[in-house]
Amino acid sequence: MAVAATRPRTRGRWGIPVGRILLLGFFLVFVLIPLYWMLNTSIKPSDDYLAVPPVWFPSEPTLIHYEAALFTYRGLDGLINSLIISLSATVLSALLGTLMAYSLARYNTGGQHLSFWVLSQRFLPPIAIVLPVFLIYRNIGIYDTHIGLILAYVVFTLPVSVWMMFAYFRQMPKSMEEAALVDGWTRWQAFWRVAVPLAAPGIVAAAVFAFIACWTEFFFALLLTSRDAFTLPTVFRAFIGFQGAQYGEAAALAIVSLGPSILLGVLAQRHLVRGLTLGAVRG
Amino acid sequence: MAELAIKGLRKRYGAYEAVRGIDLDIRDGEFTVLVGPSGCGKSTLLRTIAGLEEISEGSIEIGGEVVNDYRPRDRDVAMVFQDYALYPHMNVAKNIGFGLMARKMPKAEIEARVAAAARMLGITQLLDRLPRQLSGGQRQRVAIGRAIVRNPRVFLFDEPLSNLDAQLRDEMRGEIKRLHQEISTTMIYVTHDQIEAMTLADRIVLMRDGLIEQQGDPLELFERPATTFVAGFLGSPKMNFLSGTLARSDGGDAVRIGDVLLPLPRGRGVDGAADGQAVLLGLRPEHLTRSQGEAPMPGFHRHEARIDLLQPTGSRSYATFRLAGEAVMAELQAHDVSRPGEHISIDINMTRASLFDGASGRAI
Amino acid sequence: MSEAVETTMRMESAGAPPRLSSLARWSDRNFKWLLVAPAVLLILALSIYPLLFSLVVSFINYDFQVPGHAFVGFKNFERVIFDPVARWSLVLTAFLSGASVAIEFVLGLAVALAMVRNFRGRGLVMSILIVPLFISPVIVGQAWTLLLQRPFGPTNYVLSQILGTEVTISWLTESPWLYISLIVADVWQWTPFMFVILLAGLTAIPPNLYEAAELDGVNAWQVFWAITVPHLAPMMLLALTFRLLDAIRMFDTIFIMTGGGPGTSTYTASFYLYTIGFTQFHLSQATAGSWLFLIFTAAVVFLLVRRLLRAEVT
Repeated sequence: MAVAATRPRTRGRWGIPVGRILLLGFFLVFVLIPLYWMLNTSIKPSDDYLAVPPVWFPSEPTLIHYEAALFTYRGLDGLINSLIISLSATVLSALLGTLMAYSLARYNTGGQHLSFWVLSQRFLPPIAIVLPVFLIYRNIGIYDTHIGLILAYVVFTLPVSVWMMFAYFRQMPKSMEEAALVDGWTRWQAFWRVAVPLAAPGIVAAAVFAFIACWTEFFFALLLTSRDAFTLPTVFRAFIGFQGAQYGEAAALAIVSLGPSILLGVLAQRHLVRGLTLGAVRG
Repeated sequence: MAELAIKGLRKRYGAYEAVRGIDLDIRDGEFTVLVGPSGCGKSTLLRTIAGLEEISEGSIEIGGEVVNDYRPRDRDVAMVFQDYALYPHMNVAKNIGFGLMARKMPKAEIEARVAAAARMLGITQLLDRLPRQLSGGQRQRVAIGRAIVRNPRVFLFDEPLSNLDAQLRDEMRGEIKRLHQEISTTMIYVTHDQIEAMTLADRIVLMRDGLIEQQGDPLELFERPATTFVAGFLGSPKMNFLSGTLARSDGGDAVRIGDVLLPLPRGRGVDGAADGQAVLLGLRPEHLTRSQGEAPMPGFHRHEARIDLLQPTGSRSYATFRLAGEAVMAELQAHDVSRPGEHISIDINMTRASLFDGASGRAI
Repeated sequence: MSEAVETTMRMESAGAPPRLSSLARWSDRNFKWLLVAPAVLLILALSIYPLLFSLVVSFINYDFQVPGHAFVGFKNFERVIFDPVARWSLVLTAFLSGASVAIEFVLGLAVALAMVRNFRGRGLVMSILIVPLFISPVIVGQAWTLLLQRPFGPTNYVLSQILGTEVTISWLTESPWLYISLIVADVWQWTPFMFVILLAGLTAIPPNLYEAAELDGVNAWQVFWAITVPHLAPMMLLALTFRLLDAIRMFDTIFIMTGGGPGTSTYTASFYLYTIGFTQFHLSQATAGSWLFLIFTAAVVFLLVRRLLRAEVT
């Protein structure tokens, strides 16, 4: 992605690409403003909320909103649930996705039908799934449990894991696995001892995107959990509708929740294009 | 060590048939080279022997045992891949010993065998390195070491030298030949390079479009090619083909190329061929030499030529001239000709000439 | 060397590895199916089975307010089709997703063009620009609520300062501003998506094409239409398709920013179905509606995605 094509230059009178700087500058500000205002709100004393002009730099930063968000509004419970559910779902999704992708890539299992069937899952409207799943979960008693949401998230992230890994295995030469077969190992051993270690970077990338998807997911969590297994995004329900009273808490909780996914996302930047396009485009 | 027998082998990919009925017997300890242009099915054939491709029809026997349904692991063969296929996450010692690990061999024995194989290939100092720290030639040696260490019944090579530069390729070719002389295991070697085939093989199997075109001793194929395809494939520069007609008479047989009559030596049987039949005359460039002496030797035909094109290589000069309008290349001594346009006389060694049927391309 | 040779000569054949147990042999033979089995079973259990179940539910009475599970034919479907709110939600979904994706596309392309050449700090700018992709839509909705909501948000104050007159817009409750707010939030989150994919497409265009054009004296605008657009077209189609299929599910930001209101004025298809099913508990009506919505989506998937991915993957 670092390769920059040589393009005809459109430059201002002093040789400075004015249009480009303006555009990028505007867009950077556009991206940063909501983030800054959220951070600002989260450390601002409640008395500053309605000040005119608005308080851009709080003079007495405070952490009371963080305390309230985490404890009064059970943000900490949500955070812990989110960690348990996202991590479990990520591990399962990466594992099952890798297994399936390997079979599709190396043995062309089920032809194109199977791989497109998996892909089509990615484009199902969640509402169509979640209504019946809600009824089924209530019947078998896993509504509002960790395991229930974990399973839903594994299915929800599987298409991405499978297709990212499918593309990854496809561009990996298969002769190493064949050498292992001739060397006396079984197919499973060739997969486990040779293909998996070589695909490790791809698996990690797929796992990162699965984690981000789970961590930021709201719809399933809203409908499949309630008082026990609720995740961090669903805690924000508590801040809807109250005119102004909980701005700081909402902002504080948002800031807490941003950390892990942004950190992982920026670290896995190199694989971003593959992640967004299910491996269809190599970045 | 084992002999190998292939009977009626076919391999289909959907509608496409890559191998279309191969029968092949390979003796114990023999070095067999499968050679042919790309897409002729030679690699597919090798991979079916390894068990990496299932066969559609026929059978493969190794050491008298039909192995059609055997997994690669149960066939006790070793394979050296074109891209070496070294395990990038293991060091050289582990790469070589990986096959022994699969056999649950005691650690000490694995180490001893790996050390012995490494000594033999001169890579003892590399045992701790990872494949990416090795040069092309060193990787090649490791790949061979991985095969040697098991002492398998059959060695398979899939174009092992094609990723090396020319100099290293010559060197490794010699090493593989030496290796075969030392361990004398049955080896099957796939290449598209006719020089590799000629220098390495006890027996060449020349393939074309999924079938065996001709097999036998390298010199036999070179000197008595069964078809124009074989004749054209082996030898560099390529054999000259001249189309003409057969002229049979009591005084002896000859080939007529345009207005030139090239008499065939006595005793060169052309039985079954009719007078006036269309033929292709095959002349290797090295059998066309600059005339010496007053008259040509028996079996030689003298031709006055005007050299059109001259390509000196240092030791030899390739000279192109026209014979009855068709371009012919002769391999002359470096100083036989000094510049194009020169007129010289050339003796054509008709005792070494090949003759093919004009329609079928089969040898007469 | 001769000494080494002797060592090899003495090396016994290692033979074939130990025979496999019958279980191991069975699993080796069915290896490829064993690998896909867990994923396929899970998808069957949690996606295909629920879909079939919901198909059943949509033909019976399954309503927490009406007892019994009688077969009702197409009644549930009729209820959705003749519900003016349902139709409004479909129109709004089309409008919001269409408008958002169009703006994201233009803006994303512009930013991608601005980013394609290297400059100092490009890596840092890149890292900042992609941040919205890793944020929960709920938080995006929350962040824009903080900026826009009267009287707390600073937006009206800043606009007043710039325009010189008092601005008192209720961004989240007053039409058309609430639609603009929803679009702005979506654009903020997803323009990077367009930008990242289009940038990957731009960098894949061979630079010598541009050099040749420069030598021919073609101006920048012509170069854009003659070289950039045709080469980028497959990538544009991919980005638009993927984005559109996600945009029509729009739910999270609406849930946080407007709650569907005022009234039903910001009901999207997903939000409508959610309300019918989970706040009014007309479950069979909601499943019928979600099947209709699924059919809409499936048509797009089969038309666009299949063709598109086949071209890209191979």
